[in-house]
Parts: sequence; C-alpha cells; structure tokens
Amino acid sequence: MTVDTREFGSAAMSFEILRAALGDGAAARLGRLAFAGRRPIDTPNFIGITSRGAIPHITPDNVARHLNVGGAYMALEDFIERPQQYSTRTPPIYEIPPTAKHQTRLHSFTAMPPSVTTVLGARRLPAVASPMGNTKSSVSVFTSTGFQALTTAEYLAAAQSLQPDIAVPPADLTHSPITPNSKRALRMAERTDEWLEEWFSELQDSPTPVTTFAPVLPIPYPIQWEYLSRLAEDYLPTAQLAGLALYDPDLLPDLASFVPALLPLPRLSLSPPSTPHHILNQIALGIDLLTIPFINTVSDAGLALAFTFPPPTTPPNNPLPLALDLTAPRFATSLAPLTPHCPCGACTTHHAAYIHHLLAAREMLGWTLLQAHNHGVMAAFFAGVRATLAQQDGAAAFARARGEFARAYEAGFPLGMGERPCF
Amino acid sequence: MASNSTFTSPALAFELVAKCSTTRARASILTLPHGTVNLPIFMPVATQASLKGLTPQQLEDTGCKLCLNNTYHLGLKPGQEVLDAVGGAHKLQGWSRNLLTDSGGFQMVSLLKLANITEEGVRFLSPHDGSPMLLTPEHSMSLQNSIGSDIMMQLDDVLVTTSPDKARMREAMERSVRWLDRCIAAHKNPDRQNLFCIIQGGLDLEMRRECCREMLARETPGIAIGGLSGGEAKDDFCKVVACCTELLPDLKPRYVMGIGYPEDLVVSTALGADMFDCVWPTRTARFGNAITKHGVLNMKKEVYAADFGPIEDGCGCPCCRPVDEEGSIGITRAFVHHNAAKETVAAHMLTLHNVWYQLNLMREAREAIIADRYPVFVREFFGNLYADPSNYPSWAVDALKGVGVDLLET
Repeated sequence: MTVDTREFGSAAMSFEILRAALGDGAAARLGRLAFAGRRPIDTPNFIGITSRGAIPHITPDNVARHLNVGGAYMALEDFIERPQQYSTRTPPIYEIPPTAKHQTRLHSFTAMPPSVTTVLGARRLPAVASPMGNTKSSVSVFTSTGFQALTTAEYLAAAQSLQPDIAVPPADLTHSPITPNSKRALRMAERTDEWLEEWFSELQDSPTPVTTFAPVLPIPYPIQWEYLSRLAEDYLPTAQLAGLALYDPDLLPDLASFVPALLPLPRLSLSPPSTPHHILNQIALGIDLLTIPFINTVSDAGLALAFTFPPPTTPPNNPLPLALDLTAPRFATSLAPLTPHCPCGACTTHHAAYIHHLLAAREMLGWTLLQAHNHGVMAAFFAGVRATLAQQDGAAAFARARGEFARAYEAGFPLGMGERPCF
Repeated sequence: MASNSTFTSPALAFELVAKCSTTRARASILTLPHGTVNLPIFMPVATQASLKGLTPQQLEDTGCKLCLNNTYHLGLKPGQEVLDAVGGAHKLQGWSRNLLTDSGGFQMVSLLKLANITEEGVRFLSPHDGSPMLLTPEHSMSLQNSIGSDIMMQLDDVLVTTSPDKARMREAMERSVRWLDRCIAAHKNPDRQNLFCIIQGGLDLEMRRECCREMLARETPGIAIGGLSGGEAKDDFCKVVACCTELLPDLKPRYVMGIGYPEDLVVSTALGADMFDCVWPTRTARFGNAITKHGVLNMKKEVYAADFGPIEDGCGCPCCRPVDEEGSIGITRAFVHHNAAKETVAAHMLTLHNVWYQLNLMREAREAIIADRYPVFVREFFGNLYADPSNYPSWAVDALKGVGVDLLET
C-alpha cells in the first residue's frame, strides 16, 4: 500500500485512485475523477481546450455528439474584453442566468453540454506572453481587445460567479520560453503563495465554494518548497485544496519525495505536450489529466492524427508518421476512413476523399471533421493507456508499450499543408 | 403519365396535394430518387459539397430533404475524374437525401470575366491556369451525370434581365431552347436523374410566354424559371414569375432559381412557384446576421452582448428551442455575439438557425396552403416583418393584389 491509494474528495468532487503507482514516488496511475452532475472522467485522460468558450470548429451539439471529451479548459481572458466604446461594461458572462440544463454561468454562457467538466484558468493555453508583466495584485491577460490587468480579486470573484468545476487560482507566470532567473523565480513563488492565501481566506467566509486546483510553478522545487509545503500543511487538512495544476510535470518526482501528502490529489497538467511521446512521458510521471493544445493546431494544419496505443503489434520497418497530411493527392479518391477502424464521428460517416476535397476547397467543414477525428484518436489513445495500466502487470506493460510506441512512430509531426479555410 | 393529381416520369413523381382557393399557391409532394420532398421548399446551397461548416447530419436534422451543389465548383474541385471514382456527389459528401445541381453556366458568366457565349457553348479561361475552356450542353450533362444529382439543370444562355439588347435577349432565349434539345440528347441517366428546363426571356413577358411554350413541348419532368435575381426591379421579377406560372401545367414542379429573401419566398409561393434556392441565408450567417420573423438581426451589434435570450424567441431550431426540450443546444444571442467573426462556431450556429428559419417558413406556408388559409399566413408574415403597414414593399403589395390578396386591407 502506497501513500497515494487513498480516495480524495468533497461533496462536489471525488477522485478515486483505482490503481496507484507501484513502489514509491511518482508514476502512472489509474483513477476516476467525478464531479456532481458531470460524466466521470477515467484517468489518465485529456480535456479539450476551448477558444472563447468553444472547442474550435465544433458547435456544442457536436461536442455532445462527436467529441469524446470529458472536460473543457476555458480561459477567463477569453470573456472579459473591454471594447473601446463600451469599456465600462460588465463582462456579460458574469450576468448570464444559469438554466435548468446549464446550471452554472460558465456552462450557460458557452452552452457547453452539461456532461462536460469545466476547468477555468486565467490565461489561454498556451498563453501569449504579456509585455506588461504581472503586478503585486494582478496578472496581465490578453483579451480580444488587447492586454489588460486582471486583479486576483476579480479573478476569484469570476470563479465564484462562473462556478467552473475546477478553478486554477492565479499564478505568477512569465509564459516565456526563457527560464526565469532565480530572483524572478523566487518572486513567482512568493506572489503565488500570497495570492493563494488570499484566495482561500476569501473563500472561507463565502457561501459559494470553488473547487481549487493549486498551481505548481514551472520553477525548481527548492525555490517553491515553502509554497508547496504550505499546500500540504495548511490547505490539505482543511480540504480547501482539491487538486494540483502543474505547469511542469517534471516536478512530480520531487513532490513525491518531499511533500508526499499531496500525492492523493488529482493532478492536472497545464504544460503543453508537443507530441504523443511527451504525453506518455507526462503520464509516466503521474499526471492524471492533460491539456493538449496540439490537437487544435494539427487540425488547423489539415493533419489527421494516425497513432494508436499500444502501437501496432508488428513493428514497422520504418517509423510510422504520427499524422497524415490529408491534402496529399493520394487521398483524392480514397474511400477509406482517415485511419483504419477509426470509430470517430468523421470516419464512420465520411472518407478521406471528402476531407481531402474540403481542404482543397477550403471549406470549414474540413476543420470540423478533422477536429472530430483528432479528438477521437486522442480519446482512443488514452483508453489504450488505461487498458494497459489496468493489466495484471500494468506498470511494466505500460513501460514496455511506451518503448514500442517510441520505436514505432516518428518523433515529431509532419508539416501540414492545409490552408486556412474561407470563413 | 398523369392522373388528376399525380404526374410520374421515370425518376420523379409529383402529387398535387392542395391549391389555395385565393392565390396560385400550391402544396405538393415531390418524390425523387433519394426520397420524398414536400413543396413548396427552400433549398440551401452547399456550393462545394458542404453546407458551410454544417455536418450532413446537422443539415439532415434541420429537416432538409433537398439541397444544391454547384456543377461549376464540383467540376473544378474535386473534378469529374474523382467524382467518377468516388461514385458521385452523394457518396462524396455522405448525403443520403436529394441533390440538385445547376448547369454551371451561371457561374461561368457571373464569376468569370471574358466568358464568351457561342452556339457551341460557353468559352472561358480556366481559373486555374488561364487556358481556354469550353462548357457545352453535352459537357454540362456529362458533369451532372457524374455528380449524380437527382435534379439536373439544362445549360442555358444566361443574360442579365436588365440587358437593353432585345436581339441578344431573343438569341439567348432561342439558344436556351436549342441547348435543351442537346442536353436531352446527351443526358445518360434519364431513368434516375431528372433534367429540368429553364425558361428564359428576360423581362419581356411575350418572350417568356414563347419560351414557356417551346420548353413545355419538350416535356421535361420539371420546369425552372431562370435569369432572375440579377438586379431587376422586384415588380418586374414578380410579373415574370406570374406570367410563367400562368402557362405552366399544374402537375409539374416549378423552380424559381436564385431567390431566397423570406418576402420573395412568400410572394413567389403565392404566385404559384414551388422551389427556391439562394446562398443568402448561409452567406449572411457568416457575416453575423440572423434571419428572424421580425427581420434580419446583426448579432455583432453591442446590444446583443448581454442579451441572454435565444437568437429568435419561439424558433424551433436546435440553437433556439427552449433549453429543456430534446435536442436543444441552448445558444444565446450573447454567445453568438461573443464569437461572431471570431470563432467559426458562431457562423455554424447562425447557419443552422438561418437554414432552419427558411425551411420552417416553407413548412408553415405549406400547412397554410393545405388548410386553405394562405392569404392569412401572408398577412401575418408581413405583419411580423413590418411594424407599420405603410412600410410594406409596394412590389409585394402589388404582386399579391394580382393574386387576390390585399395586404393593406384592414
């Protein structure tokens, strides 16, 4: 029995670890994350990423019909723009009434199907780096009308008003590929620590609870150890803390060593994996829920994801491509599905020739169908991961299949030739 | 073959269900190779074998039984060879219901500069490489046979109706008749594809009548009135439609090409037309406009930013129908506003709404005709659209007066 085999939960959320990491430390595990009224999410899994409240190119009815996603990430910065002529208006999303079907403001405004779990963050995934930087009490966000300061108080008020299933409190992040120097990194930890303290103390007297996944910063453990210990010592026993949102999954081994009390918490990764190989790495580190921006990106480029997990049993002579460029002439008359036996909504109704035609004609439906396919491939991939982990010797089977996957597929995505369709 | 109320031909059956006792409006059932279609009908235009972001399933769910593809576009992409290899446009787009295709001629003239019409066909420069190409009646038929559309249109010599050149107009009308003969001769699948003729003749009613007589003699299973919606005055448009429908047999479907504003549909139905198509409802959706019974709303306007009602109150489309009803998406004006011109889903949702609006308008018109209360329906329709009757368009008032409906009667 290891330390992370306990069940963790509150009235609104439960996280059950079905099979914990073997041995000590952080490793892949099987679980089930469930929110009242939402479809439970078997983990490891992924959630969709929205843009302005919508999974790109997929109307909410098609999210329910074709997209096998249990959750959706939403960025507050997508909803709080201040149009020049109406700069004093209250963002409409704060005012929309919930309905019987859509019982939270966030669901109601975006018409996201009620079965889908929502995650609210301040910034989009990935976020645009702000030239203004954060202040003592605000993060700089990028709205459709430009950069603006979002105070930590407004963000908390938004979380309380919108009632996402999971809220990720503000973190002092640079959103830059450059590693912050140690002075900046220390300030990131201190500010995030202060902001979280404020967050929880405000929430203490509030009638509207917010399920909080605390940010874990993308800086070395020794710089944020005080903050992370406080999570375990102050907010875990009081059940204020419901999960972790990691901006760098590589910190998990350190967390396992130094703050094992945090291990039973569900772990959401907000670190964008660039390929499925990176996804497997995050899973191996013990991430339960991933956010994968490349799904939307490859769809826009006209690519159809083409990998499975575990990989094909007979190893290919040459590594297989991770995705197919549907603009290639060989698909012009192909009546086959995008990938063999694909159960997605696009492949069961259509064939490669149609998607090829739509891309050539720059029709918007091409994007829609590729999104359905690519989310479907990803859902099947995670189902394969879970089935492997559920085997008798799950950890070893997963490690073996991961090695085979690395050999079976190319390291990166091909360059998609798809052009932006006409609006 | 025709009984009192039914006409059948190898690939089509037309059953007249009801006629309005005041106007010339008709309700009928058209049976085509890919299923039954209730007329009058609005047909959305899926130009390049896709209805602007909607999946075929979403389009089916609006109740659409017949939509358009454009021969000119499909001839370029994916091209005839691919269409033959794939097995036609139904298979290409996963659409199990009916398709209608135009001849390709209209796009040649409207989209391409330097299109030159001779007796042989339409000469134009390829938009791909600028090489000279020729669309003949035979080639149009061959393309439409490859597409496999349930209704094909003859290649016609299209001239803007406002052209002052009478001699050229007569030439175009007579040539269209000759081209119909060539189309009939070249059509390879009359047993499973219907070829409709197109009546031309500009705004000259005598020429239109003459064309009607010539075309009718060729006994196509359906008849289209063409060359309209090209900038002519609405009065003239109505006169042409009325003049043609007067001469057309009861038991054949009548298709007025290229019209689609709600007022046009309601008035043309009163004048005895059955089928309509237009890109406007789907195009305007992409510009952020919603069609409602009270007029067109531009969802990009700030007044909708915090409007949490449906796109249109009382609308039954999946976006608008009350959230507690089966199949409701629960879209608000605020969410459409939020994403208009920013995310494609806003365009998709308005497309869904607008297509539904147009189809439903025709469903309601049909019910009114069957109940023999079409004049009441027409008055209600204009009453909803214009708060003040003095704003009723005079062309509509006049056209409806001509078929026994006085819109201004109190």
